[in-house]
Amino acid sequence: MLSLSSLISKASSLIDPNILPPSLLNQVNGSSNDGQTPAVLFRSNFRLPDSENPLAVIPCELSLPTGEHYFGRLHLSESFLCFSSSAPSSAAGAGSSSSSTAGPPSCGFTLPLVAIRRVERLHSRSYLFALAVTTWHNDQKLTLQFNSLRSTCEKFCEALKKNLRSQMSEMKNLRMLVGSCYSEWLVTGGKSKDGAKEEPDAGLGMVWRYPGDAKKLRDRSKMRLWAEYLRENGRNITLIRQPTFHKLIRVGLPNRLRGEVWELTSGSLYRRLYNPTLYTDTLTEFSGRHSLSIDEIEKDLNRSLPEYPGFQSEEGIGRLRRVLSAYSWRNPDIGYCQAMNIVVAALLIYMSETQAFFLLSTLCDRLVPGYYSQTMYGTLLDQRVFESLVEKTMPILWEHLVKSDVQLSVVSLPWFLSLFINSMPLVFAFRVLDVFFLEGPKVLFQVGLAILRINGEELLDVTDDGAFISCLKNYFLRLDESAHPRSDNEKLRAVTRFQELMVVAFREFSGITEQTITDQRIKHKDGVLSSIESFAKRTTLRNLGPESKRLATNDLGYIYDRFYKVLYERQERLAAIELEKERLNEKKVMSSARSISEKSINEKGRIGLGPSSQLMDYDYFREFLAGVAKWAIADSPSQLFSPSLGASLEPQWGGNGRKKSINLSPWGDNAEPADHEFMQRLFRRWDTDYRSGLSLQDVVAGLAGIKGKKDIMESISYFFELYDDDGDGKIDREGILKISEALLFITRRGWETPPNIGDQNRSGEGKGGTDPFLGSVSGFIRRCFEYADPDQQGRQEEVSTGVEGMDELVDLLDLASDDEDGESVKSPVKEKGVMKEKQKDEDMEQKDSLDLDANTKPSAMSANIALDPANPLHITLPTFRMIVLADEVLEYFFETGFADSIVLSTDGSKTPSGRNFPAGTSAFGNLGGGGIAGAKGLRGVLDNIVNDGMRVAQEVRRRMDEAQKELERNAVPGKYKEDEEDEGDAKSIMEGDRDLLKGAEASVVDDAAKLAIKTGLPEDDAASGTLLGSPTSSMATTHVGEELRTPSTPMPTRVEFEMDK
Amino acid sequence: MADGPKPSSSVKLVLLGEAAVGKSSLVLRFVNDDFQENREPTIGAAFLTQKCNLPSRTIKFEIWDTAGQERFASLAPMYYRNAQSALVVYDLTKASSLAKAKHWVAELQRQASPGIVIALVGNKLDLTNQSTGLEGSMGGLSLSAAASDGDEEEEEEGDARQITTAEAKSYADEEGLLFFETSAKTGHNVQEVFTAIANAIPESTLKTRGGPGSGRTGGGAAGDTFGGSGGVNLSAVGETNKDGCAC
Repeated sequence: MLSLSSLISKASSLIDPNILPPSLLNQVNGSSNDGQTPAVLFRSNFRLPDSENPLAVIPCELSLPTGEHYFGRLHLSESFLCFSSSAPSSAAGAGSSSSSTAGPPSCGFTLPLVAIRRVERLHSRSYLFALAVTTWHNDQKLTLQFNSLRSTCEKFCEALKKNLRSQMSEMKNLRMLVGSCYSEWLVTGGKSKDGAKEEPDAGLGMVWRYPGDAKKLRDRSKMRLWAEYLRENGRNITLIRQPTFHKLIRVGLPNRLRGEVWELTSGSLYRRLYNPTLYTDTLTEFSGRHSLSIDEIEKDLNRSLPEYPGFQSEEGIGRLRRVLSAYSWRNPDIGYCQAMNIVVAALLIYMSETQAFFLLSTLCDRLVPGYYSQTMYGTLLDQRVFESLVEKTMPILWEHLVKSDVQLSVVSLPWFLSLFINSMPLVFAFRVLDVFFLEGPKVLFQVGLAILRINGEELLDVTDDGAFISCLKNYFLRLDESAHPRSDNEKLRAVTRFQELMVVAFREFSGITEQTITDQRIKHKDGVLSSIESFAKRTTLRNLGPESKRLATNDLGYIYDRFYKVLYERQERLAAIELEKERLNEKKVMSSARSISEKSINEKGRIGLGPSSQLMDYDYFREFLAGVAKWAIADSPSQLFSPSLGASLEPQWGGNGRKKSINLSPWGDNAEPADHEFMQRLFRRWDTDYRSGLSLQDVVAGLAGIKGKKDIMESISYFFELYDDDGDGKIDREGILKISEALLFITRRGWETPPNIGDQNRSGEGKGGTDPFLGSVSGFIRRCFEYADPDQQGRQEEVSTGVEGMDELVDLLDLASDDEDGESVKSPVKEKGVMKEKQKDEDMEQKDSLDLDANTKPSAMSANIALDPANPLHITLPTFRMIVLADEVLEYFFETGFADSIVLSTDGSKTPSGRNFPAGTSAFGNLGGGGIAGAKGLRGVLDNIVNDGMRVAQEVRRRMDEAQKELERNAVPGKYKEDEEDEGDAKSIMEGDRDLLKGAEASVVDDAAKLAIKTGLPEDDAASGTLLGSPTSSMATTHVGEELRTPSTPMPTRVEFEMDK
Repeated sequence: MADGPKPSSSVKLVLLGEAAVGKSSLVLRFVNDDFQENREPTIGAAFLTQKCNLPSRTIKFEIWDTAGQERFASLAPMYYRNAQSALVVYDLTKASSLAKAKHWVAELQRQASPGIVIALVGNKLDLTNQSTGLEGSMGGLSLSAAASDGDEEEEEEGDARQITTAEAKSYADEEGLLFFETSAKTGHNVQEVFTAIANAIPESTLKTRGGPGSGRTGGGAAGDTFGGSGGVNLSAVGETNKDGCAC
């Protein structure tokens, strides 16, 4: 016997693994398939949790205690040992009603490592490498004989050993889980070592009876068959799937085992194993909390399978409420969708709350992805797939439906969405579910197609939706009738319409495989998402609120597109950057972690897929602005953000040979946005709900506030309010300076000047002195200080000194304006500045004795007496208005220039290009050097202005001392601090914000790193994983052959490793 | 019901509105004159038919009762395409439901067939104070003004009503909608809604058929083909009905 099997094993090992029968397993080891990574396929084949990755695989022969042998492959993941036979075994009866090559492998197991008690190396034949595995249920011993190179075998064992050890800690969970399984109770007869136990919860049906007539369903004989199967082949966690297992499921599960087998075949059992307290913890954590989903659930509790007595009771309703609520908390992206209530209610008839909770999440994540999402894209997608399958398999019917303008999905959508539960009588719907959990979503398609096929002739007579629906409704009501009532053959007469349906579904449509569905989904995904998106856009734009009425429709459309483009592109980009970082940091781990991240990248980034985050934080906002306003684009593409990316990235996006297609700058291929205090103010102003994020509505309302204003007075007030931090109608000295800086910032690339001064402006370019806007701004400052109201009496004189002081600076700076070379700009400034500073330091010392930073801090401020914080002053809105209107250029700016500086859809040509500004535009971009650009916000602007040659003179003239300070200190850490303390509360909040933003970035990065560690393998495992991961080639087989011939030293029984638990 | 030589025509009607406002219950009352306390939420949409006898003709309503939950909104175009009439339902006892109803009205006015007859219906009148006693007296009234006048005076304390008749009525007038307050539970005003709609459908959009009971649907759009129909087509909605009669 053994020699025969070894012969077979030899023969089979000679076969190239790649031409083994078309089991999906080949793809597990092969290259990825249509975006499905091997890891994803692996997990879906064995129904494993998302944390599992294929670490090693080895060809192997499985011998069962019952005497069967199967050839196949043994897979190892972090916490599972899985086997799948490679060919439909000869033992599988070809005559069985439903066997099909497309079905799941005929034999296999998914064994959690924690359920393995002991692994022994067998000594049977020294040239064979075999293990005996004893599982949790002691009575079961599996023999695994490897067909591979000895070294490969040994490596596999090493990895297995390591993983077995790491799983020891899960023992407690295993005990809990097994105790809750009905099969355990069934086989042990309710007795265990710990004494007699209560019958485990097998759903509401235990109390309120299971649907259908138990006698007619032959529940008792089914139960006996199952008990026998479970005794021989292990149960719950240790169950081996043999062909009988599939057959037993096809004939319908017995009531009390149904829930558990659903769990087992869908894989939700394994989720429950590793998260034993997740359900109860969730309920505790969120108890008493409210959400939209909770309200929606509450509405539907009384109307979920209301005809089932269990759901007319408080107990049943309570269970339903708890499961739906817990899931909505755990997955807020989905929350609650009608139809889930029906599905969960159905599950609860056969299983406990905890079981239903995990099965629901398996459903939503894996079996019917996207069905219950916000946009229900999965539902719509599968409808499209179903339609295309109907078209392919029943072209005549399809043509008829198209001709009659009958929409197939009006009938089929509820089938899929509620898994036939409210279409068919419950007993039959559960039979479909039995197979659905075993074989996957293709079952829904097969059954759907079979329904149409069987009713095909009648449907060809139907010419409208109504008749179409009622035809099928009638059919469902008569599923229990004989399919051939008039047949002479008694056996044929006994066949019910439901049985006929199953046969047609799984035999005639056996060609519909999981792969078919996957391919079709990929094919139609784009189209479906686009149509959802255009619908979403239409509805969203209509419901943007009253503010949006101030903008043109095409502007709104433009904002909408831009908003989501930035949002999703940036999300994707950041994810890609993180990925890249991970890869660089932990190359070894990547193979596994990568597949997960890749998936998550693909799964986001479209509105049609439902919301991920719908808010823009400040950086998103900057990127958004940079696309609509040229002033929001940074002057010099700085390396500011590269430190946060890690130095290792720099060579990559510097453009060396192996640069990837993704631009790894946080801004992608787009121009880097500026970061100016003004933009932060805009952000905060638009962030009406103080969420530190802008919704589309916020952005629209914000833009409407600027572009929708036709009146210059409104526009002036808007600007004023922007700078009136405490809303008291006053802007202080610092605010005035900030306004001027903002004005210069916005116009630094030029703006739509009024015709009469436009020429001047243009010709004056490069000669800073003649720019009228600059003149206007300095005039503005002067007047502001002139007309400002003092906060206290007796400060008037000092203020005027301040103005004089400024004039003085203006003179001093004539020097600089003639020479635009960066160095020479800096040096005179520095010189003068140092003098000034010393002088001021002396002045200030006495005043700020309390402050620790007194020496450095006030000096910058007091360089200009007008800036002296000891002389508070402010302007009011009327003053501000008057000053603006006093200047023609400013007036024009507020009238149209500001609004026009933001370009929406109306004029495409004005839209700033997405590229970095050509060097010419910011010819002075690099003058300041990266160091200065490092100071963001207020000082950053100043630097930008310094960089912008044509304005050098006036700007520096105005705040020369500060510029000097900046230059001097720019390498000194703590310059932010200086700013902060200088300029009072408003400023410090801003700095705080910025730190927060930075902190957020850092923490994102941190999280990513953690994730990599969590999901990735420990280094050693990864190494062995790669080694073992490669499938044995023909090379390997020859080696095995050699080994067979070479008699090696006889080995005594050696227990290779043992884990007694 | 329908007999004699009266011409008969089919009218496609769609029900829209927030979840659990009683859309399905209204239909059940109209079609079966029945009421169930806890009806399963509609998944996708339900389809029912019922005839409505007018003095001059018989209207066969083909009723599409849609799911109310927000996320099902993207499926709605599938059901309201070609619809000649719509019932936009809100819950008198729930303020937010009127806002949702307004969205639907806007959606229909822009996306559905031009000339679609829309009725705004405030349901669950039985939960307000004026529910009892009015039932009989209101019978036969088919126009909105009459229905609302009687209701307004009686608003009292202990009333679950959150949306006043005046508020909804003025909105309906503004948008040119039929307006009713109903109770699917008591049956109050339900028949009237459908009769009013039947009356408001312009003669010219009806395709008359030989006799009642024929399986063939007239509908406004029988012959039209929709670009690439058969797909889950969310964006293409009918430009079919040629008549743009305002109601």
